[in-house]
Amino acid sequence: MTTVHGARRRRWLPFSPWHLVLVPVALLFALPLAWLVMSSFMTNAQINKFPPTIIPDSLHLDGYRYVLNNALFPRWFLNSSIVALVVVVGNLVFGVLAGYAFARLRFGGSKTMLTLMLGTLVIPFQITMIPTFLIMKKLGLIDTLGALIVPSLVTPFAVFLFRQFFLSLPREIEEAAWIDGCSRLKALWLVVVPLARPALGTVAVLTFLTTWNDLAWPLIALNNDHNYTLQLGLATFQGQHRTQWSAVMAGNLIAVVPVLIAFLATQRTFIQSLTSSAVKG
Amino acid sequence: MGIELRAAVVSREAASRRRPPARRRFGEAGTAWAYILPACVVILGLGILPMAWSLILSLQRSDLIAPAEWVGLQNYDLLSHDPAFRAAVGHTLIYTALFVPLSIVGGLGLALLLNRKIRFIGVYRTLVFVPFVISATAQGVLFSFIFDSHFGLANAVLHWFDIPPQGFFADKNQALYLLVLIGLWSGVGFCVVVYLAGLQDIQSDLVEAAALDGAGRWATFRYVVWPALRPITVFLVVWETLQALQVFDLVFVTTRGGPLESTTVVVFYVWQQAFEFFNAGYAAAAAYVLAFGLLLLSIGVRFARRRDHEVVSRP
Amino acid sequence: MTVRQPYGSVPTRRDFLRGGLSLAALAGIGPILSACGSDDDSGVADDGTVTITMWHGQNEQGKETIDKIVANFQSKNPKIKVDASSGGVLADAMLQKITTALSGGSYPDIAYIFGPDIASVARSPKVANLQSFITPPEAKWDDFFPAARDAVTVDGKVHGFPALIDNLCVAYNKKVFKDAGVPEPTESWTWDEFVATAKRLTDPGKGIFGTGWPADGGEDCVWRIYPMIWDLGGAIVDDSGRKVGFDNDTGLKALRTVHQLGADKSAYPDTKPGSETMYQIFNSNKMGMIATGPWQLPAILEAKVDYGVVPLPSYSGQRVTIAGPDTWTVFDNGSARVKAAVEFLQFVTAADQDVQWATQAGSLPLRKSTSESAEWKQHLQSTVGLDVFSNALGYARTRPTIRNYPRISQPLGQAITKMVLNQGTPEEALQAAVQAANAALAAG
Repeated sequence: MTTVHGARRRRWLPFSPWHLVLVPVALLFALPLAWLVMSSFMTNAQINKFPPTIIPDSLHLDGYRYVLNNALFPRWFLNSSIVALVVVVGNLVFGVLAGYAFARLRFGGSKTMLTLMLGTLVIPFQITMIPTFLIMKKLGLIDTLGALIVPSLVTPFAVFLFRQFFLSLPREIEEAAWIDGCSRLKALWLVVVPLARPALGTVAVLTFLTTWNDLAWPLIALNNDHNYTLQLGLATFQGQHRTQWSAVMAGNLIAVVPVLIAFLATQRTFIQSLTSSAVKG
Repeated sequence: MGIELRAAVVSREAASRRRPPARRRFGEAGTAWAYILPACVVILGLGILPMAWSLILSLQRSDLIAPAEWVGLQNYDLLSHDPAFRAAVGHTLIYTALFVPLSIVGGLGLALLLNRKIRFIGVYRTLVFVPFVISATAQGVLFSFIFDSHFGLANAVLHWFDIPPQGFFADKNQALYLLVLIGLWSGVGFCVVVYLAGLQDIQSDLVEAAALDGAGRWATFRYVVWPALRPITVFLVVWETLQALQVFDLVFVTTRGGPLESTTVVVFYVWQQAFEFFNAGYAAAAAYVLAFGLLLLSIGVRFARRRDHEVVSRP
Repeated sequence: MTVRQPYGSVPTRRDFLRGGLSLAALAGIGPILSACGSDDDSGVADDGTVTITMWHGQNEQGKETIDKIVANFQSKNPKIKVDASSGGVLADAMLQKITTALSGGSYPDIAYIFGPDIASVARSPKVANLQSFITPPEAKWDDFFPAARDAVTVDGKVHGFPALIDNLCVAYNKKVFKDAGVPEPTESWTWDEFVATAKRLTDPGKGIFGTGWPADGGEDCVWRIYPMIWDLGGAIVDDSGRKVGFDNDTGLKALRTVHQLGADKSAYPDTKPGSETMYQIFNSNKMGMIATGPWQLPAILEAKVDYGVVPLPSYSGQRVTIAGPDTWTVFDNGSARVKAAVEFLQFVTAADQDVQWATQAGSLPLRKSTSESAEWKQHLQSTVGLDVFSNALGYARTRPTIRNYPRISQPLGQAITKMVLNQGTPEEALQAAVQAANAALAAG
């Protein structure tokens, strides 16, 4: 927006005054990360102390040792990655196609189909979990990663979000492509998808995180510890009477950091995509 | 996909304006169905059956363990006299009424704040997104530390400002509002990310043109930015409403409905009935009451928004 | 899908719905709804090897010990293959998992089920009846502590083996007592003394509490009050089974005791699920006494707390406590697998393994003979206070295995929480709890 100019006009600070607002806001939200980092370097005794230790007097690697000594941890990481990647790709491909159809194409039953898809969300998962378990069992997928992938391969969330994004994209660009002789699918691929990079990025990130952090369904669908996802594996560090908090924290940090780095690295490509120049061209 | 390829070949021969390449009259519908087919198979295939199953369950007296007994509408009748269920509905409505508008306004505000090209903006964006990334388990532990009524960080901070210590999760009059606050804190990142993406779709030349025409910041927002964000806002309202009405994880890791059932929300009630009290038929009926409520809400929205055809008409 | 409708008979909405429903029924609801029953004897191989699945819901020491026991069993019984895993959940979440598994018709042969849940789970026709296996004298069934035996018996039928047993005693923090100048509790103390001691220990200025009580309304909040009710002559359900047995002075007096703790603000109300905080406070030398089970001792030791253990106080002078036994519930996947599961569980709970399980996984012996064994007696020396818990097994009682138990526990939990949080009177709280619990019991 216009602030780029605004900041340049009056430089009463050696940096943009917006930092004065953004730093406290970011700190407020970053609080858990700081605490997670801190606790992951504490011993169980330090974490269990009351009143809570905020700054530990000594740092320890007990939690990391516990996690990394677990021979299955890399396997859980791999399982989570496989599930999350397949689900993200599925949602991008099928979500774009369906979202585009609902936003741009006229066909009988369009509204009904969209309504039905969203309608499947009104019954909470705590109830539909059981019939979903039955279907997965019929498909022979219980206790496999397939049980986690298939139900999320394309979600109403992705379809609906893509539809809404496409509604706000100008039609004219696409129509220009048609004049050039592009088919609809080609125009979608060559013109609309590049323009929708922010939408693709958003769906990718949000789908990835939902899948990565899911615990309720893996808990029911998986039995064998070789098939666990990261979150399910970490949940087993929490005992009925005693919890290896340092390990839980270290494990959570190991789970979160790659995600945050990926977000930091890619947010530029999907949040700061240069739509305006594409539109002009 | 086959239809698509054929259409591509045909398309080279005749290109008409404002229309994708010529095709048979129902070509557009055919394309549309081909595009939505995979989504239909997965979403409806795995969605309709469980819904039908739950509806049947709601008409039964069932613990999911022993053979069920058909009871017709008895579960619904019992629910209508159940003060605990009524309280759960009340808590859910309060939560939703606070969470949805606040998360959307907060998300938009933060997105506008973060939508600028200055140094470290990527870091700021990432940090605001942090709570959304952290698992519910870790959040539960964090907040039990912060909001402990006797040893928590929050009371230490209040003490610093000479405010007497609060009960927080030990106070049945505060717990629900505290949940809204935590829900907002961890959920607003979602709205921020979606709005940030939406803001990129706005053509910056339009914004610049408006600025050149002497439009103030508010006018630019009101007449250029906001209309472009409409479809995305609709998405967020629908989505956040669904999320808020079905809030569960947050309650499960922080209060389990306590203290004294002051934070029992509908889905937690459903879970409790199904998996603690072995009352699955009753739980399914409670879930369907929530669904019917959503249906009524969406019909209301449809009437209110009839004039605006761009707006999706129901959650 | 493109059935042409002749003009004049346009399908009505209802036709559509009906068609849709019958289609859906054909497509899968029917077979899916009846997805019960499992393939008989599916785990039996051609050479007679039987494979059984066990969901033990354990981690850390518990898992390690079971893995060792399984390996040992395997080497002696090559014809039975035991596939033991936590089942993807810890014991806390097992009920939800097993409910889904039962309704989906794919369940293990053995699962770790909490005592209060077994009555409900046993309603399933897929839960095995082990009566015929446990009557022969070589099963040594009577050697199990009564509380352990009761926990796996529903309506006179045995559905599993005892898996774990514990009980409540009071751990006290010697440093907190010393700092407050309060004499340490004795073997034979009363609830009035407990309340008075808690009050004397409490020091809000230093952030020190006399004791703690879970205030989440969960089972951990509830089971602590039963020894008080039993001591006073009350019961959880009365003899008819249609009414609660604490709708009288026994319930009222017990609630008054808790109420006093709440009113004195001498009990830290732990509102968090899991009640871990109150133990953390105890272990940080900020709490004087806590009613707890033997499972807490390792954490107390780890925190290097100078502590002692005494039995629960009483009103009458007699010793009463509650045991919270858990079970290895056996599910019916065909007779060969049930037989193999029983054989395996006989081994798990036999003297050698019982002592191994109790010492390494930090619990108590399931068998009387184990508790008298030299190995166990030697282990008692290793941990301060463990002997108090071990002795308490002799008089510990257990909750009745009735299906409606969760619906008694829930309202009673609310009543106790009100007391701990110092809200309302014991009379009102009791009345509300009794009313709700009796309604649930009457409904059957």
